[in-house]
Amino acid sequence: MGGLWRPRWRPIVFCGWRWSHPGSPARAAERVEAFLRPGWNGKGDAEWGLRWLGTWTRTSPPARDRAVQPPRRPKSTNPFTRAQEEDWRRRNKTVLTYVVAAAVGMLGASYAAVPLYRLYCQTTGLGGSAVAGHASDQIENMVPVKDRIIKVTFNADVHASLQWNFRPQQTEIYVVPGETALAFYKAKNPTDKPVIGISTYNVVPFEAGQYFNKIQCFCFEEQRLNPQEEVDMPVFFYIDPEFAEDPKMVNVDLITLSYTFFEAKEGYKLPVPGYN
Amino acid sequence: MSTAMNFGTKSFQPRPPDKGSFPLDHFGECKSFKEKFMKCLRDNNFENALCRNQSKEYLECRMNRQLMAQEPLEKLGFRDLINGKSEAKNEF
Repeated sequence: MGGLWRPRWRPIVFCGWRWSHPGSPARAAERVEAFLRPGWNGKGDAEWGLRWLGTWTRTSPPARDRAVQPPRRPKSTNPFTRAQEEDWRRRNKTVLTYVVAAAVGMLGASYAAVPLYRLYCQTTGLGGSAVAGHASDQIENMVPVKDRIIKVTFNADVHASLQWNFRPQQTEIYVVPGETALAFYKAKNPTDKPVIGISTYNVVPFEAGQYFNKIQCFCFEEQRLNPQEEVDMPVFFYIDPEFAEDPKMVNVDLITLSYTFFEAKEGYKLPVPGYN
Repeated sequence: MSTAMNFGTKSFQPRPPDKGSFPLDHFGECKSFKEKFMKCLRDNNFENALCRNQSKEYLECRMNRQLMAQEPLEKLGFRDLINGKSEAKNEF
């Protein structure tokens, strides 16, 4: 009987209290609920007082939920250890705040690391690919490493839509690191219309590509060939002398330079950072 | 090769040339120098070190005909060839 009676009373009283105390309906509901519980003897006994104190800053769920979820109670009934528990709870909350702040800070630092590292590489010159040129001074002073002969082979490709005849004029050339070398490609436009092509290159093996420096070539700029015209396209390059000191390059004796020509159309962008 | 779109593989990053692009030699003004260079290469089994004189002459031809920006030869790596031509011949 008491069990059936309770749910019906609670919502009514809760609504009534909400109307009259708009500021703290939840608090009011708690207070009222304490009255409605069977076993309340009309005096503020320790048990009831503890329960009330236990629900400190938490926004309490409406009275309906209270039936399924008892309010948080301190584990001890001793007032001294209760204060200690309060203290622990407060400290735990502080620690949790610090930990969450640290996690968010780490996440932000990991995002910031990318541009910062790039900036660092540019100023200190480490990291290889992010180095801004010191090339022309280096060429003047570089000393060929005579005992390391490298064979450079040449490859020429043309995109399917471009009708040029494009081929290297030498199949291979033997160079040493630190020595500038010249090589030629030949391109012919067999059609009756002027065609504009643009090229990009590739170096195999991949790790040797960072030592392969081109002083001047014909890539990344639009090259126009008139009908039935044939031109020589030179490539002036050198292999960085530091190639000989790289332990990963000890077994590398063959480097392949491969050029590919595409037809340059309006708004067509090569998928590489182009020159000017 | 470099177009393998695997996450985590480093892809080849082509770099623009240091001094830019050669203008095309539409009129074949330096073709004779090029032929000399290619003949030298074929005769010497494609060893670049023995044909550096011819490559220097080709580049000089280009510079004289406005097909290449004027550069002192040291900056192109021909320092040893300016002083004495015999130095290049003594290699290998």
